[in-house]
Amino acid sequence: MGLLLAGPALAAAQDAAPATREEVLAQTRREKQTSLTPYRSNALERGMRLAEEHAIPILGRDGFYWKGGSLTTGSGFTYAGGWRNRRLFDRQGAVDFWAGRSLKGYWKVEGRFDVGDPVNGRLVAGAYANHYSYPEEWFFGLGPDSSRDNATSFHLTNTIVGGRAGVRPTRMLTVGGGVEYSTPEVGPGHNRRLPPIDERFDESVAPGLFRSLNFVRTNAFFEFDYREPRNARQGGWYRMVASRYDESTDTHSFSRFDADLRQYASILAERRVLALRLAASTSTPANDGRIPFYLMPTLGGHDSLRGFHDYRFRGPHAILAQAEYRFEVWSGLDAALFYDAGKVATERNDLNFKNLETDYGFGFRFNTDNGTILRIDAGFGSGEGKHLYIVFGDVF
Amino acid sequence: MSSRSRVLPLVSFALVTVALAIQPISSQSPRFYPDDPIGRDDDMALDASKVVPIEDSNGYDFVANTFANPGVRHDIRAQNVNTVDEVPDSSWFVNRIGHRPMSTAEIVRGPDRLESISLDGWKVSGGKSSGLQAGFRMTDPAGQIYQIEFDPPSNPEMATGAEMIGTAFYHAFGYHTVEVYIAELDPSKLEIADNARINDPLIGERRRLTRRDVEDVFRRSARLPNGRYRVLASRFAEGAPLGNFRYYGTRPDDPNDIVAHEDRRELRGARVFGAWLNHDDSRGVNSLDMLQTEGARRYVKHYMFDFGSIMGSGTVYAQRHRAGNEYIVEWAPGWLTLATLGLYTRDWMHIEYPRVPQSVGRFEANSFDPAKWRPEYPNPAFENMRADDAFWAARIVAKFSEADIRAVVEKARYSDPRATEYIVETLVERRKRVLDTWLTGISPLVDFALSRDGQLTFANAAVEASVATAAGSYRLKWSRFDNATGPAGAAVEATSLEPRAVAPAELLAGSQFVQVEIASLHPQHTTWATPVTVQFRRQADGWALVGVTRLK
Repeated sequence: MGLLLAGPALAAAQDAAPATREEVLAQTRREKQTSLTPYRSNALERGMRLAEEHAIPILGRDGFYWKGGSLTTGSGFTYAGGWRNRRLFDRQGAVDFWAGRSLKGYWKVEGRFDVGDPVNGRLVAGAYANHYSYPEEWFFGLGPDSSRDNATSFHLTNTIVGGRAGVRPTRMLTVGGGVEYSTPEVGPGHNRRLPPIDERFDESVAPGLFRSLNFVRTNAFFEFDYREPRNARQGGWYRMVASRYDESTDTHSFSRFDADLRQYASILAERRVLALRLAASTSTPANDGRIPFYLMPTLGGHDSLRGFHDYRFRGPHAILAQAEYRFEVWSGLDAALFYDAGKVATERNDLNFKNLETDYGFGFRFNTDNGTILRIDAGFGSGEGKHLYIVFGDVF
Repeated sequence: MSSRSRVLPLVSFALVTVALAIQPISSQSPRFYPDDPIGRDDDMALDASKVVPIEDSNGYDFVANTFANPGVRHDIRAQNVNTVDEVPDSSWFVNRIGHRPMSTAEIVRGPDRLESISLDGWKVSGGKSSGLQAGFRMTDPAGQIYQIEFDPPSNPEMATGAEMIGTAFYHAFGYHTVEVYIAELDPSKLEIADNARINDPLIGERRRLTRRDVEDVFRRSARLPNGRYRVLASRFAEGAPLGNFRYYGTRPDDPNDIVAHEDRRELRGARVFGAWLNHDDSRGVNSLDMLQTEGARRYVKHYMFDFGSIMGSGTVYAQRHRAGNEYIVEWAPGWLTLATLGLYTRDWMHIEYPRVPQSVGRFEANSFDPAKWRPEYPNPAFENMRADDAFWAARIVAKFSEADIRAVVEKARYSDPRATEYIVETLVERRKRVLDTWLTGISPLVDFALSRDGQLTFANAAVEASVATAAGSYRLKWSRFDNATGPAGAAVEATSLEPRAVAPAELLAGSQFVQVEIASLHPQHTTWATPVTVQFRRQADGWALVGVTRLK
């Protein structure tokens, strides 16, 4: 029998024997009434409430804020603080000023102003200025034959001021362009485990080394995005950028074209995804000038050749092909097997699929519908050691 | 779970067990009181005005129920059933279609007081406080507040339709639900009240609600071809909000709340309803407790609400493939997937959904196995559901005719008749599977009656629902029944080929109570051989049913 019979029997034993079921229940309730206690939340509940109602919302708030992550590949974990206001012009404009420093001593300050959405969300524009100091950038030499044994470090500082604008004629398509002025400078690196760049390389093999150069970069881009959902399981994302770097003395001016094509296909209720990426970059010096080595594309690291060290390969031309097989373990956690192949080239004619550097590995992605929050990848097979990457955000 | 909240249910269970154990010794407590079986449990009698709100977050509810196993998991009879194995009316539940005929019109009307509403003259009075669905609050000219919610652009009519259908069904089942209406909103006529406020996540404070906020909502919503928006208007329940109830434990500050929620039959049986309608969002945070005032009485009334994620609707997207098939975190298949590098696949990944209007979302019946159905994460009451709880709920499901189902679906006012047709077909098929599973899982004998002259009759709910054939024969065991000690004296056994029998005259003579255990012998349904135990009490005009036990 249920409590309506059994439970009240206890109360009945302690109180005057009730004559009806209704009395049994009433007695039990009166009994409870004498020992009511206020509801007290437990530690887990209090902790989660604190996180959900206070800590997490603060991360997204206007005014002073802090954030973590990385400044650039290899910068190490960065802590940053800033001030922002995204409520300008009835929430169609935003300003954001922040400064961050990494555990390796990289630092950056930036100010941004963005306006968006004035015409049904189809137009975006913005201006920005930043200054950064990256003291431990890696350089192994140029071209596909660079040696890991030649690892050096350099210190890159730069100041950039620019603006950009784009229009979205359709939900999937964005076209636009921008212009920016930059003043990069390269000096000896501060990595204590590596010799500074000038101990092994000079300007003949590291163009732009120790020169103060000023660039005006103009670019135009085209982007077509039909991924579904944003944490892609179907569809594709294609981006092409044509840039021109005009250096003030015209000795290091060049143009560059980058293409990044990503395609996603899935089966089994989108819980098994094949993700493919083909990226290429090619540069052409102007007036027989030289392209600064620090503005050349690089391969190696968490977002390209994952079996290799960050910035392992550098050259004026680069090609990268990546394939990932992703499978959902639980909602919000995918595992992945990957294979990367790519190379840099000093001549455009060598930009082909011959003699590619390759690696493979596996990883995990903690994700939401809007993208990957945290990624862990372990890369092998390069012949240059094993590499473990723990990264905020997806690889592609 | 705190150690306190873990310990309290255990102590309660121990007390109940002790009470059961000492019952025959004390012999002071009768098995049946004069007012048994009660039809109403007055759990609104004592003052509950000191109850404080419990507002669980989505995150906490998920973590607690997925990793902490709250409540007590045990195989015991539901603790709030009356002596004939039914749920008395209470602040949780009011017997409707399960106990009385409901016309189709009454089912469709549900909790609604009005036939329809028009939003003319209404004003936006505030932002929406929670939930993924785009919306805001509006106040009608009489000052009544409604929550206004929209459909996602990708699936027009889906979430609002699901809310309408879910509310009507859950109301007919017997739960307390809020009134919901579908209406059209003309953005050009929208007025914003001067005192309308909204929580602004960018500043972490409430501020004045502006036209821009409303336009943000429109931007995230499906627009009708006529430029208007189809919305769901949910009338705020009366009383003071107390947050949500939990599917485990009791409120320690509510004197009326004496049965652990995981042992309430209407909460256990909600698993059956959830499976039928694919209400994978059946969880504590989608419930509502309100402090009601009736005269001098203040009590807690418990509501089920937020049906935007039932059937094929995931509220802001079509329902996920996993929904209804697997918990968000279910260890074994996850480890298997990992160990086999994804070669192991779950069955639900192979389900092929037909091409249907987007208002349907992702919903089907062909692969539906009610026993394997899952909400988003473990629900303690669902985990405690037994065959008798499921049978109780399945009987309620069986009461809906196809015409009832069609009429409820039509209340959603899908613009594409194919959507209506598909949902009706799917619900009818899923209902059949629910009844196949849970109406036949235990002896389905019902409607026991013993006439003054000793003629016993009964019916078979599974046969009535056309999901089983009648038993080949029935084995009956008659005995006198002592209201203090139970069955008394020698039993008399008999066999019948029909759902009727004659009670032994010698047992009836001079007895105040008589008991009969009825085992149904059916070649396909061997569980029916476990007898239903039934007690009758002598009354002036004959015998009254006073006890039914399907499962000890």
